[in-house]
Amino acid sequence: MASVIYHPEYRRYDFGEDHPFTPARLACLMDLLASLGYPISAVEPPVASREEILTVHDEAYVAAVEALDRGESTAGAMEHGLGTPDNPIFPGMDLAARWLVGGTLHGARMIAGDDETRVLQLGGGLHHAARAKAAGFCLYNDLAIAIQEFVSRGWYVAYLDIDLHHGDGVQSLFYESDRVLTVSLHESGYYLYPGTGHIHELGSGSGRGMKINIPLEPFTEGDDYLEAFDAVVPQALSWFSPRVLVVQAGADGHFADPMGDLALTTRTYQALYARILDLAARHTEGRVLFTLGGGYAPAVVPRVWAILYLTLMNLPVPERLPEDWLAKWAHVLGPGAISTLHDPDPPYPAFAGGEERRRRNRNTVSRLLDSLSRYWY
Amino acid sequence: MLVREIMKTPVTTISPDTTFLEACKLLHEKGIRHLPVMENGILAGVITDRDVRFATSALCPSPQQGSDPVRSAMSASVVTADPSDPIEEAARVMRGQKIGCLPVVEDRSVVGIITNMDLLDALLKLAGVYDSTGRLEVSLDDVPGELARLTSFFGHRNVNIRSILTYPNGQGLIRTVLRVDTNQTLPLAEALREAQFTVLWPMPKPWLR
Repeated sequence: MASVIYHPEYRRYDFGEDHPFTPARLACLMDLLASLGYPISAVEPPVASREEILTVHDEAYVAAVEALDRGESTAGAMEHGLGTPDNPIFPGMDLAARWLVGGTLHGARMIAGDDETRVLQLGGGLHHAARAKAAGFCLYNDLAIAIQEFVSRGWYVAYLDIDLHHGDGVQSLFYESDRVLTVSLHESGYYLYPGTGHIHELGSGSGRGMKINIPLEPFTEGDDYLEAFDAVVPQALSWFSPRVLVVQAGADGHFADPMGDLALTTRTYQALYARILDLAARHTEGRVLFTLGGGYAPAVVPRVWAILYLTLMNLPVPERLPEDWLAKWAHVLGPGAISTLHDPDPPYPAFAGGEERRRRNRNTVSRLLDSLSRYWY
Repeated sequence: MLVREIMKTPVTTISPDTTFLEACKLLHEKGIRHLPVMENGILAGVITDRDVRFATSALCPSPQQGSDPVRSAMSASVVTADPSDPIEEAARVMRGQKIGCLPVVEDRSVVGIITNMDLLDALLKLAGVYDSTGRLEVSLDDVPGELARLTSFFGHRNVNIRSILTYPNGQGLIRTVLRVDTNQTLPLAEALREAQFTVLWPMPKPWLR
C-alpha cells in the first residue's frame, strides 16, 4: 500500500491550450481510477513556501518568476528560460509551481518522519528545472527540493529517472554531492532534448561516480530497456546503500508518445515498477517516493500511470477500460483509443534494426560499467 | 568566429636558454603542450612537450641533458596567426601543416595562442551543445532562399535556434543541423514535413511507416 499525495490546486500548473504538459492528463487519470472502482483518497499537502524553493533555486531566479507572474517587464525572461514555447509565462505560475513542489516535499517529509514508506505524488517530476532557469516545462525542481529535504536530515538518497528525457536538472543540482546518487535512463541526447546524459557524465569532486546515465538508442524496445536497467541499477543501489529512493516516473518513453522515440509498452512499465518496488524492499526498507513526469499521449498516459498506481497499491491490473470512462474522455483520447488497460500484443508491427540497436545499447552499458568500476568498490 | 575570440591569454613563454628541465616543469605545472620561445621580445620558435621528451630521451640519437638549453630542440620556423583571422582559416593552416598550435602575433609580439583543443571548443560552441536543446536535421536544396524558408518556419513559431550548421551532402543537397531551444522536436519535425521540408531527424516512428 502507498499514500497518494494530490491537491486540486495542481491544476493551476497549466501553460495554456495546446501545450503538451496539460493538467488534463491528471484529471483523466484520476477519473480512470475512480471508474475502475479505486477512487483516490489523497493526502492534501501544503503549498511550498518561498524559502523552501530557495533551498535549491537562486533568489534572483525566483524573484524573476514572481515578477513575470505579476505581469511586470519581461526583460530578462529569456535568460531564465521563460516566455519560450516550452515555458510560456502564465499568471499564477509561481504559486502553481509551488503547489507541485509542496506535494513532493510533503511526500519526502512523510517518509523522513516515518509516517509512510511508499508515497505516490500525483504531480511534479519537474526534473529539467535548473538552479536559475526554467527548462522543458519545468519551473521549480520539486524533486531536487524533496531530495534536499532528505539530505538536510543526513539521509543518502538514490534518485531514479525513467522519463524519456535526461534528468539534467536534478543531476546538475547534485553533481558534486556524495549524498545523492542519480541514475537516469533516457533516449540518447545525441538527438533528443536536452542533449545531455552521456555515460561520461559521472559527477565531480566527492560526487564522482555517483551520477549515472544510461542513454538508449532511439526506438529501443522494452526488453532491451529492462536489460540495461537490470545491468546497472541494482548494482548501483547495492553499492551506494541509499536510505530512500526517489523516482521520477515519466511515461513518455511509451512507443506512442509524440515527443520521443523509445518503444516501451505498458507491460514494460509494469515490469519496471515491480523491479523498482523490489529494489526499494531490498535496499531502502521499502522507502520510495514516486512522482509523475513527462507523458504526452492522451490515450496512453492515464493507462500507464493507472498501472503505476495499481502496482503501488498491490491491486490487480484489470484487463478492460471502463466503457463510461472511454465515452466520457473520447474527445481527449482521440479516435481509435483502445479498450484495454494494457497495450495490444503485439503492441506494434515488428520493425528493422533491432540487432544494431541492441549492440549499441549493450556497448553503452558495458562502457558505462567499465567507467564506474573505477569508483565502485 | 575569429581567432581573438578563442585564443588563450596570457601566453606562457620561455627563452632559448631555458633548460629542458625548466621547460618540462612549466609544461606540467600549467597543463599545456606548447611553449612559444621568445628571444629579444621576438618569437624565435615553438617547443612542444613531445620535442622536450624526445630530445631528452634515451631513444634520441644525441640525447640532451635536463640542464641543456632548449634552443636545439625547438622548431625555429613558426607558423602564426593574426587575431582577426577567421578560425576556419586557422584550422586549415594547422591541419595543412599538421601542427598543434598557432601563436597569435600582432606588431611582432605574441598576444595569444590557439591549439587544436581551442578549435574543438569552438566546434562545440558552434554546434550549440552547451545549451539544453533538441536537434533537427533537414535536407535542403542547394538554392537561394531555402535556408531562409527554414529559419522563418522557426521564427513564426517563436522557437529560438541556438545553432545552425550546414554542409553539402555531395549530391546537390545541403544537410542542415539545427539545435533548437525546445523539447518539442518531434511535433516540429511533423510540422516541417507538412511544410514540404525533408526532415532527416527525427524520423517517423518505424512502426508507423
